Amino acid sequence: MTFDSAFFNGFSYAWSSRDGYRLAQTLSPEVSTEELKATYNSTNSHDIKISVRRGLQGNAALVGGIDQDGIKGWVEVYASYWNATGALVAARESDTDNGGESSQLVWTKVFEVWTDVLNQLLRGYQNYGFEAWTIPCLYVVCRNLRAFAIKADDERNRSSVEDITTNNLQDDFDPDSSKNQKLEECARTLSRVFMICQTDRAPIEESRKWGSYYIANLLLKTYFKLNSASLSKNILNSLRASGKDMPDFSAFPKSQRVTFKYHEGVLAFLEENYVQAETCLTEAWNLCHKDALRNKERILTYLIPCHLINNHTLPTKRLLEPYPRLQQLFLPLCQCIKRGELHKFDLALQEGEDEFVKRRIYLTLERGRDIALRNLLRKVFIARGFEEAKPGENPVRRTRVPVAEFAAAISLGSEEKIDNDEVECLLANMIYKGHMKGYISRQHGMVVLSKSGAFPGTGV
Amino acid sequence: MASQKKDDKPTAETKPEAQAAEQQQKPAILEEDDEFEDFPVEDWDQEETEAGAGAGGATQHLWEESWDDDDTSDDFSTQLREELKKVEAARKR
Repeated sequence: MTFDSAFFNGFSYAWSSRDGYRLAQTLSPEVSTEELKATYNSTNSHDIKISVRRGLQGNAALVGGIDQDGIKGWVEVYASYWNATGALVAARESDTDNGGESSQLVWTKVFEVWTDVLNQLLRGYQNYGFEAWTIPCLYVVCRNLRAFAIKADDERNRSSVEDITTNNLQDDFDPDSSKNQKLEECARTLSRVFMICQTDRAPIEESRKWGSYYIANLLLKTYFKLNSASLSKNILNSLRASGKDMPDFSAFPKSQRVTFKYHEGVLAFLEENYVQAETCLTEAWNLCHKDALRNKERILTYLIPCHLINNHTLPTKRLLEPYPRLQQLFLPLCQCIKRGELHKFDLALQEGEDEFVKRRIYLTLERGRDIALRNLLRKVFIARGFEEAKPGENPVRRTRVPVAEFAAAISLGSEEKIDNDEVECLLANMIYKGHMKGYISRQHGMVVLSKSGAFPGTGV
Repeated sequence: MASQKKDDKPTAETKPEAQAAEQQQKPAILEEDDEFEDFPVEDWDQEETEAGAGAGGATQHLWEESWDDDDTSDDFSTQLREELKKVEAARKR
């Protein structure tokens, strides 16, 4: 893109059709290096503002609706964009020339100049009356600010390997905070953008509030990366508090809704609020684009444990079919739960521990042991068969089960012998949690189960 | 003094090795970074959603009960039945 008549025509076209996404394209750094180079070489720091101002003024008559203040604002935005293209070209060329091993922190430079693009844009909204239909410009600039922050941190972490020794000598060393320095800076900037969207008091149809969810999603992603659930909660609370002043959630594009519901669901999940987590994740799942496999896989990673805890249901083979990674993750556990193979369940949990912990689902899956145990006890109950039926009556299951039988079942497969007190404790827990109906008769060493629904919800 | 310097050297050399090991582990974690991806498009029709595409009650076949009665022929079930028989036999004796 060069600041020539084609550019100004594009600008006026976007302007006259009030097409924010088209306008945003003129601020995108996601173009070929050749194009960026052409932009950068088309002018210089002295001429850039003059030529953009002249071009915009020349088209102002065509466009209508853009006033002198507006022009002033956009001139600053494009001047900062032009400046950023220079740094970006340098960074990309350094990457290809040196394979990313540059002596200078080129991406830090890009992050800095790109922050300036964002600041100029924000100034436009605050001082120069930029209208709400232009907010896709904010999307493009914010999204890339985050990408550049990650690149800058990555580059610095790679190049400062030698610094680690000196850092270790310090009293208090927090490797994460220095590791994510630029991303944290980016998060602070984004939360400012979020506030600027949220606090717009213009009538809803021309409010920057329409930008709230896009920016909120970027922030949530950033906070997740920084491992800060509490800051994420602030965003949710802020959106909840302004609920009635916001456009209806269903009026936002599906990409924004799915992304938001996913993060909201995972946050509820981490707080062990599995009912809310399931509601959010199910909504995300239902709205998700059917071909977005990787995202669907991420939703299921948390939705499956939710179903296990809330409804004691497991994913079908058909559901997992397109996701080999999920099969690997969940199928062994699911089979153990179904069969009631307690010992193998423990092994499977151990086997996948690293993966489960990394995805923060370990503790939730561990609770699936209760369901495995319930299924095992149920099997013992069923294996005992029926009382001798009196003629003309329906057969009744034998509801008195020796504790010793349950003990044998629980120990099965394991080398260790579990003593009776522990078995009784497990059984009492099952009764307390409502997985099993009955009581333990200690002097007879028997469990007396309910004749009507000994294992609620499982058909016996 | 000279001997002291010699002693220092090995310790100084072992440190970077330990760090190198640390560094090797880190990229593995970063690689696994499991971030929700941007969608290539902003919005889509109801028919293109997971729920819309699965029209015809397909969503009902996604979840199943955790217990199953049908599959009692597996090794574990057989083993369990034998174990229970043993316990019962021991009680009757």
